[in-house]
Amino acid sequence: MRKSFLIAFFNLRRARSQTAAIIVLLFLASAMLNLWLMLSMDYKKNFDRYHEKLNAEHVTLAVSSADEGLRDFIAETLEKDSRVTEYDLDDALNMVGSFGYNGGEINTQFVILEKEAALNRPVGRIEILEEGEAAGGLYLPMLYKNDGDLAPDQTITLKIGSAEVDYPVCGFFNSIMAGSHNCSMCALVLTPEYYEELEEQEVAPASTLVSVRIREKEESEEFETWLKNVIAGRYPGLQAVSNSYSLVSSSRYISQMICSGIVSAMAFFVTVIAMVVIASNVINDIQENMRSLGVMKAIGYTSRQIEASLQLQFAGIALATAAAGIGLSYILFPAVNAMMITQTGIPYAMHFLPLPSGITLGIVGGTVSLAVRLSSGRIRKIDPIAALRQGVMTHSFKQNHIPLEKTNMPLQLALALKTTCSGVKQNITVCITMLVLSLVVVFAGLMVENVIVDMEPFINLIVGETADSCINVNTEAEEKLLSLMEAHPSVEKAYLFHSETVAHKDEEGNLLIATISEDFSRINNQNICFQGRLPLYENEIAVGAKYAGEKNLKIGDEITLTAKGRDADYIICGFTQMSNNLGKDCLLTRSGFQRMGNLDNVSYYINVADGADVDAFQNEIGGQLGGNVNASVNISSVVNGSASVYVSLMAIIVAAVLCLSGIIIVFVLYLLVRTLLNGKKRDYGILKALGFSTGQLVVQTAMSFMPTVICSAAVGLTVCAGIINPLTALFLGGIGIVKCTFTVPVGFIAAAGMGVVLFAFGTACLLSLRIRRIVPVTLLAGE
Amino acid sequence: MHGGRYYSRCRKAGNTLFMKKVLLQTEALSKSFSSGGAMQHVLRNIDLQLYEGDFTVIMGASGAGKSTLLYALSGMDTPSLGKITFGTDVISDMDSDGLAVFRRRNCGFVFQQIYLIDSMSVMDNVLAAGLLVNRDKKELIRRAKELFAAVDIEEEAWRKFPAQLSGGEAQRVGIVRALINSPRILFADEPTGALNSQTGLDVLDTLTGFNGRGQSVVMVTHDMRSARRGNRILYLKDGTVLGECDLGPYVHGARARHEKLTGFLAEMGW
Amino acid sequence: MRKQFCLFLLLLFVAELAVLWHFAMQDYDEVQDAVAVNEVIHTLQDDWRNLETHRNRTALDYVVLDGGGAVLFRTKPGLSESIHQAILHRDTILDVPGEGKVLIYNDAAGKQQAGRQAAVAGLGILIAVQTGACLVYYFYLERNVIRPFRQLKDFAGRIAEGNLDIPLKMDRFNLFGAFTESFDIMRAELKRARRAEAQANAAKKELVAELSHDIKTPIASIQAAAEVGAALAQRVGRDSGAALEQGRPMAAGIRENYLQIIRKAEQINTLVSNLFTAALEEMEQLSVTPIDMPSGELRELLESADYLHRAMIPDIPECLLYADRLRLQQVFDNLFANSYKYANTEIEIRLRTGDGCLAVEIVDQGGGIGEEELPLLKEKFKRGKNTEKIEGAGLGLYISDYFMRAMQGALVVENGGKGLKVTVMILLSGYRSGAETAR
Repeated sequence: MRKSFLIAFFNLRRARSQTAAIIVLLFLASAMLNLWLMLSMDYKKNFDRYHEKLNAEHVTLAVSSADEGLRDFIAETLEKDSRVTEYDLDDALNMVGSFGYNGGEINTQFVILEKEAALNRPVGRIEILEEGEAAGGLYLPMLYKNDGDLAPDQTITLKIGSAEVDYPVCGFFNSIMAGSHNCSMCALVLTPEYYEELEEQEVAPASTLVSVRIREKEESEEFETWLKNVIAGRYPGLQAVSNSYSLVSSSRYISQMICSGIVSAMAFFVTVIAMVVIASNVINDIQENMRSLGVMKAIGYTSRQIEASLQLQFAGIALATAAAGIGLSYILFPAVNAMMITQTGIPYAMHFLPLPSGITLGIVGGTVSLAVRLSSGRIRKIDPIAALRQGVMTHSFKQNHIPLEKTNMPLQLALALKTTCSGVKQNITVCITMLVLSLVVVFAGLMVENVIVDMEPFINLIVGETADSCINVNTEAEEKLLSLMEAHPSVEKAYLFHSETVAHKDEEGNLLIATISEDFSRINNQNICFQGRLPLYENEIAVGAKYAGEKNLKIGDEITLTAKGRDADYIICGFTQMSNNLGKDCLLTRSGFQRMGNLDNVSYYINVADGADVDAFQNEIGGQLGGNVNASVNISSVVNGSASVYVSLMAIIVAAVLCLSGIIIVFVLYLLVRTLLNGKKRDYGILKALGFSTGQLVVQTAMSFMPTVICSAAVGLTVCAGIINPLTALFLGGIGIVKCTFTVPVGFIAAAGMGVVLFAFGTACLLSLRIRRIVPVTLLAGE
Repeated sequence: MHGGRYYSRCRKAGNTLFMKKVLLQTEALSKSFSSGGAMQHVLRNIDLQLYEGDFTVIMGASGAGKSTLLYALSGMDTPSLGKITFGTDVISDMDSDGLAVFRRRNCGFVFQQIYLIDSMSVMDNVLAAGLLVNRDKKELIRRAKELFAAVDIEEEAWRKFPAQLSGGEAQRVGIVRALINSPRILFADEPTGALNSQTGLDVLDTLTGFNGRGQSVVMVTHDMRSARRGNRILYLKDGTVLGECDLGPYVHGARARHEKLTGFLAEMGW
Repeated sequence: MRKQFCLFLLLLFVAELAVLWHFAMQDYDEVQDAVAVNEVIHTLQDDWRNLETHRNRTALDYVVLDGGGAVLFRTKPGLSESIHQAILHRDTILDVPGEGKVLIYNDAAGKQQAGRQAAVAGLGILIAVQTGACLVYYFYLERNVIRPFRQLKDFAGRIAEGNLDIPLKMDRFNLFGAFTESFDIMRAELKRARRAEAQANAAKKELVAELSHDIKTPIASIQAAAEVGAALAQRVGRDSGAALEQGRPMAAGIRENYLQIIRKAEQINTLVSNLFTAALEEMEQLSVTPIDMPSGELRELLESADYLHRAMIPDIPECLLYADRLRLQQVFDNLFANSYKYANTEIEIRLRTGDGCLAVEIVDQGGGIGEEELPLLKEKFKRGKNTEKIEGAGLGLYISDYFMRAMQGALVVENGGKGLKVTVMILLSGYRSGAETAR
């Protein structure tokens, strides 16, 4: 072993810069790998940890009534039920509202709690994470912490129902089940004096917040449906919002999933490239040193000892570097974490994770060790004499690629192509690298085009349908609204787009959000239905693909829905991928819904002309319709609020991806060029002696990479452009997206491809400048 | 003052009568290497003129600086001191790219180790050198074929790879490559060193033949049989030209030529 | 090649399996497209009043009957046109609510037929590919294995017959390339060995002839000289024996003279050697060890010697000098000191190469010295007349001259135009060996 160690040490000193390059690649790869593993293996578990810590509920229900009878009924129901372990009923104020956030606005169902009560709830209590100086005021969920306008001691304007109230921001809290607009309700905490004041204003009805912990958290959804049905059965017409563990646990992590998906993908690609390059380099290095290995064999080292030394050399470095890389990943993690917290709103305490580290070490060490093992297999076969003679010179009948005699190419190009044709291993490495990189580039292009430049495709994908404004009116006022719309100059389009809850009449009785429209051909996002078609007749329905998958429903099947106490059968005519209700969505025509019952109020989506002030427009309509307007939502500003977070996030990610691509190209080419130059030192010496200048040889070397780079970039970009949408869909599958319809930015991709090729050429030129150091005379004198 | 260089002045009328044209000229050419801190002077103040059409042979014991001189003369290496002029060009002042251009235009090389590029076929080896100077491919291929014929390389060998050739064949391919650009001077560094005696003779015959047609040749050797082919023998010792001998007036293969050479070499302490 | 072929076979096999699997699993009896049927019903309902404008918006074929069974509409002829036909054909029979009936054609048979045809076509293509592969492989074997073997057989036959001139044709696509080439190498080597053997024999003969000639020549001359001497002595003895009494003693005298010459020559040799040794012993004990040094270093030496900066040092010709750096510095120090002392004027330095040395001329404007004193200047303890008032031992030039000679250079003192001109001749490296050989 000591001998092996000696040899290993000797070898390391010999190829210092190559070792350094490999080390850097390994370092990056293991850091990214570990980052990925940490994100994917532990990040979401954080939700459960906090859920336990705050003894959070599995089902939350906010009922807009503080009636004692109701409360007794609920308590009794929960008390009797064997599935329930704990529950808590509290006073709350429950109302739709909004506030400005990130340049846009957040529009959700507020559940306003009193501070002391909220902090001391036995089930589903909140935790205050940050507190400012203000003596009294409003506490917001952690998610909305924004160092600009939403920071402690600043004033926030809440719009509750139709009233506006100003509060000083006291601090931020963490609530598991109601800490984000993604939870279908959003908790707000007021200090007692403000709470009482708001209560007296009667802008929001006094309500009851019901938090229930159940035995099996997997059953949370069914329990939620059951509970709502039980209450609705006893107190029909009661307003209630609810959520469940499974809804919240996935919806709060949607963005995080996307982000960590991207980071993971990046990490995965870096790892793949690094491993390919390292393996090929290790194999190459060993083959180049066949002669010295032969010497060792000749002086009596056994194959096993030699292999042990190589293993020690490469796998040793790999493990040490991987350990350092894991360290780096812990340094990088806070930055990624900060990014994620803006999406989840749940703080994550970083701690050491042994399993991801173990896996990282295993993968890195294993790959390198395998590469050594593969190439050292040859050592065993070769006898010392043959190895001394620089490997076995067999008679080769190599094909003469591009005979100079016949070709009409310029000499430089022809010679470069000859090099290209002779280096299979080099080409494979370049090819894999470029294929992976083109995926990265295409992805970056997709994100730039669909998220940064124009958000609409992304929003459509996530939200389903957007317009500029949404106005909800009572049915009596519908005709008036329509005629107003007809007459209004800045209205481009107004169409019914209304949501109602319906129940799927099967053994579980799942609640679906039915989106109802008069005529689905008028909605903005026709891609909402990715298979089959949108409902056309009153007995047709389009169902969320995720739900259909769970229930094994096919197009052509018939399902029975219940609403307003009546049943109706519908033929499934298509699948949608709306993710508003995490896939539990369906589309019905208005006449279709009316087979079950009439609509009390209707929501219209309105597209206004460019540049029109949506808020002013809404106020105008509100004024004309008076009390018949239940709510109006400025959709574009809501979307902008949450979108700006995505835009900045994507910008960071795209920049990181592109930087990383650059770094990878540089390192891969560095290793390849070095290997090439080492292997061809003699040839370059001869060519120099014949009168080739350094410049010519440099260009020739760089050009020899180009065919592979160009071809694989072209193929890679084309293929990736083709598969990027399904691929993205695959990785957004968790939130009910089955088919992506992002526009693929051909121009950007082509330009980026050209850029990558030129960059590779430039880098290869720069790297092969070391040809300058090859002096013909040293080659000749060296012999 | 001991005055001047001791020359074994064997030269007869040869050069003085027909005033051959000077091709390459050195003035106080020195080449030093530092090895382990100490300077080692391999060439020392060499003043030399090489004439057009000559078959100049540089002889000397190993370590006398023969190859170093050859590389300096051919622009493969730059001298430490002194000046080398080729026509009006001062080679010793050129940078590495200038030297590359000089080499490709004016010099042909035949090496001891047969430096053909293994990954290219015989024809490509030759054309790679040729296309560097001459863009007219047809003309080039015609010349290559002519040269191949002249060195007795058959057509079927053109498409072979160097590894498939015998040593002698490979060396003759090397000569073809060296001559493809019609260089002003052909430099040969022990061209027979790696060959057995018969193939060595073939190679020498080839070189003599080209010289007969007016090709200037400068050859380094420490083999007397090779040296006999030259018409001007320079004897190098300790980095300086110890003496020179003109074999021009003697017929190739004649005994007198041989005696002259052995006499000269004996005098030089060979 | 073999690997690729195996891979190809494997791929083909997988492809075949996949195709077979596809056909085996194909579900010919597809379910009715309920959505399309729904659409048919709805569109019919909408269009019932004027069915002539009805347009089929689905992929289905159907026939519409009124309440009495009369055909109102058909998408194409050849479909079941009565309920009975429809039942036989397992068509879908539906009511258009309140209006009539629609018979939706059951196309399963047609689809099955198409499926079977596709299966046959697919299998056919596969079989063709397979047959093609077999044929290609056969030709490959024929070309690369069987034919080369046949050639090899002919080749071996020719070798056996002793015909070594016909090479074995090789094909680089040949599977046995290396193998057949070894055969050809064997042939070539055999041929070469034969030729070499013949040539070695010839060369040996030549060498023996050359050597014998070389050795014979000096022996012959000695022999000839000896014979001539003997004959001469004999003839002198015989001829003069008759004529003169002193003839015999004279011949002996000649012989004695020859011996004398030899002895004296030997003596001279010894004497010269003695003289040389003696001269060496007389040499001073100052060691001078010249080595090669680049001429550029002279500048430093001169600058350091000319500490008053009286001289402009011109460009130094590039060459390699043979000198002892330390001693050369001493020489220059001495020369400049002399000039400062005796002339005390501007100094001019001129450099030139020639005759195997670099000449450094140091000229001052001090008027020089008398022509008669010049040869004596370099002697020990000799000083010029004009120096009486100035301190000095008269050793400087002597030692400088000694140093220069020890470096195989020289020191020349003469009168220049305006003053004394001292020329330091430094030997160029490379010329030393010539000088040594001359010695």
